Amino acid sequence: MDGFFSVFDMLAWFPENISTFGQELDNLFAIIYWVSVAIFFLTFGVLGYLLVKYRYSPDRRGYNYHGNSVVEITWTVLPTLLFAAIGLYSDDIWERTKYSSKVPTADVEILVLGKQYGWVFLYPGADGTFGRNAHNDRTARSLMSATNPFGRDTADPAGFDDVMTENQFVVPVNANVVMRGSSLDVLHSFFLPHARVKQDVIPGLWMTIWYNLFKTGKYELACAELCGGGHYGMRAEYEVMSRTDYDKWLDARNAEVNAARTPQPAPTATTDTAAVASLR
Amino acid sequence: MSTSTLQHGSAAEHGHDHEHGHHHDLPWYRKYVFSTDHKVISKQFMLSSLFFLFVGGAFALFIRWQLAYPGQAIPIIGDILPASWATNGVISPEFYAQLLTMHGSIMIFFVIIPFAVGMFGNFCIPLMIGTDDMALPKLNMWSFWLVPPAGLIMMAGFFTETGYAAAGWTSYPPLSAQTGLAKFTISGQTLWTISVFLVGFSSIMGAVNYVATVLNKRAKGMKLFDMPLTVWALFITAIIITLGTPVLAAGLAMLFMDNFLHTSFFLPDNLVTNSKYFGGGQPILFQHVFWFYSHPAVYIMILPLMGIVSDVMATFSRKPIYGYKAMVFAIAGIAFLGFIVWGHHMFQSGMNPLLGTTFMLSTIVIAVPSSIKVFNWLGTLWRGNIQFSSAMLNALAFVSMFIIGGLSGVFMASAPVDIYIHDTYFIVAHIHYVLFGGSLFGIFAGIYYWYPKMFGKMLNETWGRRHFFWTFVTFNLTFFPMHILGIGGHMRRIYDPNVYDFLKGLGGINETVTIGAIALGFSQLILVGNILWSMKWGKKAPRNPWKANTLEWAAPEHPGHGNFDMDITVYRGPYEFGVEGRQDDYWPQWEKGASVTVHHHTIAVADDTKTFGAH
Repeated sequence: MDGFFSVFDMLAWFPENISTFGQELDNLFAIIYWVSVAIFFLTFGVLGYLLVKYRYSPDRRGYNYHGNSVVEITWTVLPTLLFAAIGLYSDDIWERTKYSSKVPTADVEILVLGKQYGWVFLYPGADGTFGRNAHNDRTARSLMSATNPFGRDTADPAGFDDVMTENQFVVPVNANVVMRGSSLDVLHSFFLPHARVKQDVIPGLWMTIWYNLFKTGKYELACAELCGGGHYGMRAEYEVMSRTDYDKWLDARNAEVNAARTPQPAPTATTDTAAVASLR
Repeated sequence: MSTSTLQHGSAAEHGHDHEHGHHHDLPWYRKYVFSTDHKVISKQFMLSSLFFLFVGGAFALFIRWQLAYPGQAIPIIGDILPASWATNGVISPEFYAQLLTMHGSIMIFFVIIPFAVGMFGNFCIPLMIGTDDMALPKLNMWSFWLVPPAGLIMMAGFFTETGYAAAGWTSYPPLSAQTGLAKFTISGQTLWTISVFLVGFSSIMGAVNYVATVLNKRAKGMKLFDMPLTVWALFITAIIITLGTPVLAAGLAMLFMDNFLHTSFFLPDNLVTNSKYFGGGQPILFQHVFWFYSHPAVYIMILPLMGIVSDVMATFSRKPIYGYKAMVFAIAGIAFLGFIVWGHHMFQSGMNPLLGTTFMLSTIVIAVPSSIKVFNWLGTLWRGNIQFSSAMLNALAFVSMFIIGGLSGVFMASAPVDIYIHDTYFIVAHIHYVLFGGSLFGIFAGIYYWYPKMFGKMLNETWGRRHFFWTFVTFNLTFFPMHILGIGGHMRRIYDPNVYDFLKGLGGINETVTIGAIALGFSQLILVGNILWSMKWGKKAPRNPWKANTLEWAAPEHPGHGNFDMDITVYRGPYEFGVEGRQDDYWPQWEKGASVTVHHHTIAVADDTKTFGAH
């Protein structure tokens, strides 16, 4: 029975929120929800009352009345004020979460690409800067391919330590994460349900996606835009880590990258892990 | 109306010059197939829409089965499905994408629009403005006869290599524009574009005709503000269609060329794909072009029903519509605003967030004319004498479901809230509350209301009420829980929710929805049964069974080609119920008589030499 009644408590069905602006979005949802519930009971109450009170009776006739301007102006002005208030309040939040001028300074910067059917991520690696790739240099887009999705220029030393991951990524807790998202083939949508983040990614354009998560743990990334038969399976996992764990993770990736690379002049200060961590 | 006017349409076409009503010398295929009679065309639209309603509904039930019982074989029919659809009775992810595309496309382009605009536009406009036929009957005939071929073309996608179109009814490129096929290959997607292009053409032809008819062929004495709200709504809808549909046609033409000729209107440089193409295009461009039509299109799908529901409610409340002119202006307001809000479909699409602000504010403004309409409907019920006929029950369902659909619309109109609920089942719930809870209940109301004039027989009221009851209950069982799925984050258009951990708790709700949907689908058989049974065995309909005021009830029980058997002059507005000083509680528009208006009341006066304004 408990389960049955929970159907009527719609707000309880949200997945747990883990992002800083998420609470604000949920609150706005709740405000509109309660306003809607009030309007629902008001209008349905009036409707039910009228239907019962004025149900058919053979000894009565309908009242010939064509309407009253004062009443009509009232019920035009009141909803206008109500909805204008909702609109202006919403816009305030919208500006803060989406306007490009309001994107915070990045603590962590990650590139993300959607493809049929999966996600790939690129971290700037130990040096904290990306090498030449399709995001920071338009001309590098011609290098994009299934094996080199980010169009990385293998000749650029700054890119030697860039770390690519597939279908999983990690971010530090309580940090401003700024992602630049695009797609290799068709439209996808970068959807982090717990973080209340959603942004379509479009081939040929780079979208800015930012968030700041306050809770550690493992969560899911989903694609929210139909992208073909395998759309439903376009799932990835991400982990929100404490700062120490995150640094450890980065160092481990860095070690992997170095091990995998053919003997080349090592990039600057690869062994100083403490210094590497402080760069981010 | 003079006899010469009545004959005008047919005389011009056939060169015959005989009395009105004597058209039985037309060959059968001109009377029942390629007919120019607006009532026959209306019935044709009704039949084809009913047929496609069941096709689209069947597609929906496949979708529902998969969501409730992912990976389980479909019972009974699972084994006989073609191999391209299912293996061992379990439908494939590729076919699932085709299903949702075809469900949406068929329901919108072949059910709701043809019902709302094609069927009611054709039936109501000439009869309600008291004329013999449309201004352009041949064009009217063609507007119907583009629909069956278009339907067949869309369904023919089954026979192509890739199956039906599979990019959603919105068909966003690049998914819809580069299929990896060679140039000049016919695919489900190219057939889809051709088909929608054709129905768009059908809409435009119908709409031009409606505008011409309303402006030129109103009965003697009928001013624009004497028109019933149904005619007003259809008239304004027709204007939306003539302005919006050509834009969609342009978008579809570009999409077709991207597919068929490998141009790159919507394809950017450096896609990682096997297809050969030029690049340099812009995927978001299509969304702008598409929604510039398709947002007004949602009003194309609901405004006519708002008009119909107003008429039904006035008749069965035995009361004038509360605030008739406000209703007209609200329809016009919604129609205008409909053209400046399309970006609210694109809040998360990568459109500049600055535009999000603009479109959010314009969208929220639409709530105002919508609430005016709801309040006026409630005002119409106030101090009425309400008869709960099947038509009225469906009209009331329209109003109440439209309230829910309107309220859930406020959530997604608010751009920051939309971040989370966009592309989830919350949107699916909303669209079905307005398009099924709104439009389809309105369509049912219209069918129950005008069936007697269409077929000369009454529909069975008992079965009408049963149909209403089952539809109303199962509709809410199907679509209300979808709000919860949406809040839980359930994305739309996914084949298997069990892939995601965060959706694991929603299985029970998905099952409820599916059970509701199956019951809802089967409930519609009652309607079809009733329509067919009553055609043969229904009670004979009197001329004015509902004691209504509008001109269609002045026509004979089962009007033939030419409609009216008397001269029609209009003396007053369409909603004079309960007028003081009259025996009857209704006062048809065509009945002579004088009245005065005192404090928003109409009072009949003896002096029939003068007519005062009735509003």
